[in-house]
Amino acid sequence: SAPRPFPWEPAERAVGARRAALAAMFADRTAPGAGVESLWRSARSARCEAKSCQTRKISTAENAVQSHTSRDAGVQTDQSKDAVQDFHQEVQVDYASLLSFLQKVEDAVIEELNKNWKSRAFDGFEVNWTDQNETVLCLHTLSYPEAQDQNLQVTSVSWNATGSVVACSYGRLDGGDWSTEKSYICTWNLDRRGLNPQRPDLVVDVPSSVMCLAFHPSQPSLIAGGLFSGELVVWDTSRTEDPMIWRTGLTDDTHTDPVYQVNWLPDAKHRNHARLLSVSTDGKILVWREERDGRLALAEGFAMVAQQIPRSTQLKKFTWGEAAVGVTSLSFSHFDPHVFIVGVEGGYSLKCSTAAETLALHRTGSSVPLRAPAELAFSPHGGPVYSVSCSPFHRQVLNLFLSCGTDGQVHLHSMLQTQPLISLQLSKKYLFCVRWSPVRPLVFAATSGEGNCNKCFCFTGDVHLFDFEKSSQKPALSIKQAVGECPVYCVEFNVKQTQLLAAGDATGTVKVWQLSSDFTEQGPREMNHLEQLASEITD
Amino acid sequence: AEVEETLKRIQAHKGVIATMVINAEGIPIRTTLDNSTTVQYGSLLHQLTMKARSTVRDIDPQNDLTFLRIRSKKHEIMIAPDKEYLLIVIQNPCE
Repeated sequence: SAPRPFPWEPAERAVGARRAALAAMFADRTAPGAGVESLWRSARSARCEAKSCQTRKISTAENAVQSHTSRDAGVQTDQSKDAVQDFHQEVQVDYASLLSFLQKVEDAVIEELNKNWKSRAFDGFEVNWTDQNETVLCLHTLSYPEAQDQNLQVTSVSWNATGSVVACSYGRLDGGDWSTEKSYICTWNLDRRGLNPQRPDLVVDVPSSVMCLAFHPSQPSLIAGGLFSGELVVWDTSRTEDPMIWRTGLTDDTHTDPVYQVNWLPDAKHRNHARLLSVSTDGKILVWREERDGRLALAEGFAMVAQQIPRSTQLKKFTWGEAAVGVTSLSFSHFDPHVFIVGVEGGYSLKCSTAAETLALHRTGSSVPLRAPAELAFSPHGGPVYSVSCSPFHRQVLNLFLSCGTDGQVHLHSMLQTQPLISLQLSKKYLFCVRWSPVRPLVFAATSGEGNCNKCFCFTGDVHLFDFEKSSQKPALSIKQAVGECPVYCVEFNVKQTQLLAAGDATGTVKVWQLSSDFTEQGPREMNHLEQLASEITD
Repeated sequence: AEVEETLKRIQAHKGVIATMVINAEGIPIRTTLDNSTTVQYGSLLHQLTMKARSTVRDIDPQNDLTFLRIRSKKHEIMIAPDKEYLLIVIQNPCE
């Protein structure tokens, strides 16, 4: 019989099967199983394809955002010229009541003024607000043993803008020939606890002898130095790696002789950028500005040529020929920023101006034309001038400066006349450095050493403090810097901590002296006294 | 006016460095110094005068301040106070 039809088989086949099925219900049969083959693989492979896809290269960029420049700006209202008038307009002044007030008080006030003028009640009456310090002490004796082992001398000291760090440069002042000696710049922070006088906070190795140093007047970590090779270098003491940030290098513009003095000049155009001024015995006075690549480039320059030095009829005539005039020191006037005084090897002090226009003779080969700045020559010393210093106190009418040199004399000059106001023979030895006190108009310091001292009238001390109030003939105080004959080459007053004075000597030591109160407190009428003194002499 | 005459007389006196008149609010009315110094003197001395006056009256309410003199190393400042104005004279006494 036909195999039983299954329900899903097509109907035409099932017709016959139905009849058979009716007859054959309920009988035992075996039926072959149904095999269902797995379709999944083929189905899968039929339905899927291998494909890959990938996005195009994704561009990424790293970006950091931070404000990197900042500027401080202050806002302040300007004083209007007619401020007083403004007051008048705002304030309703009742002239009638003002007049009656003045009439009421005038007599009383005039009487008081008269009484005061005649009164001797306060003569010699002085009040001490601060503890009086009677003595001069040596607070610190600083040195760098390695430099001392090499017999290096302290050539220059400088205090930083905050008055807490003193720096000194080691070198040799008596090395005549081209020296290739290494030297050092050392700084000590005197306000630090645990100050070790034999271990400077920072030591910078310099390949050539450093002859002069100057800290920046407002940025406490910048310090400039002039080298024996004629270069200028600026270091930033806050950098831990290489502190050198700018240098002039050895170019055609660089000095051909050692740089004996370096000063920072405020830059009129860019407040934050100062310019550097360097002075050298090659007769040039150069002003440098900083360039981006750490270079110092020449901004302007002056050259001293003997023929262009103005001669006054009062001075002896002499012949210098065409020699360059070696400049050893410079000081700017505190009242007129264009005026400066230079001291030269020939013993003259000269008044110069940055506004000079005449070109210097015989000075070619530098990138910026050099000008001749000298306007007035003052009466000379008997030997080279080593240091000049303009007083920070005196008014335009009586602009004073000091000069000292190898003749052991200090001359007090007024910029208005060629003869000195006072000529003091401080010592038989050479005087290396003279500085006015920043707080007392009548006080200055001068350092001495070397030279012959056969007759014994020379004063034995090495740092001389002079006070015109006490005596105009001899020093008020002479401090012996060290045992034995040891020339003191440099001295600097601390402008912020006015009782401190730093002096550097030939044994490689810097001594920080604390001055007694009478050197640091201005007396009641000091300015008047000095003007009186100066005018007595000019008459 | 007469106001100027009176002030000139005071200013011409021996040793007088400066003269100024301040009103009750501390605003300068007349002065012989430059503006910034005058404003500084004016506000500081006005406050000081008020403090001096209150000190005198605290000690004795029947009393009142008539004159104030400040002597310093360099000069003497004299202040004549009033309800509406303050006259300040700075003198450099000779010695």
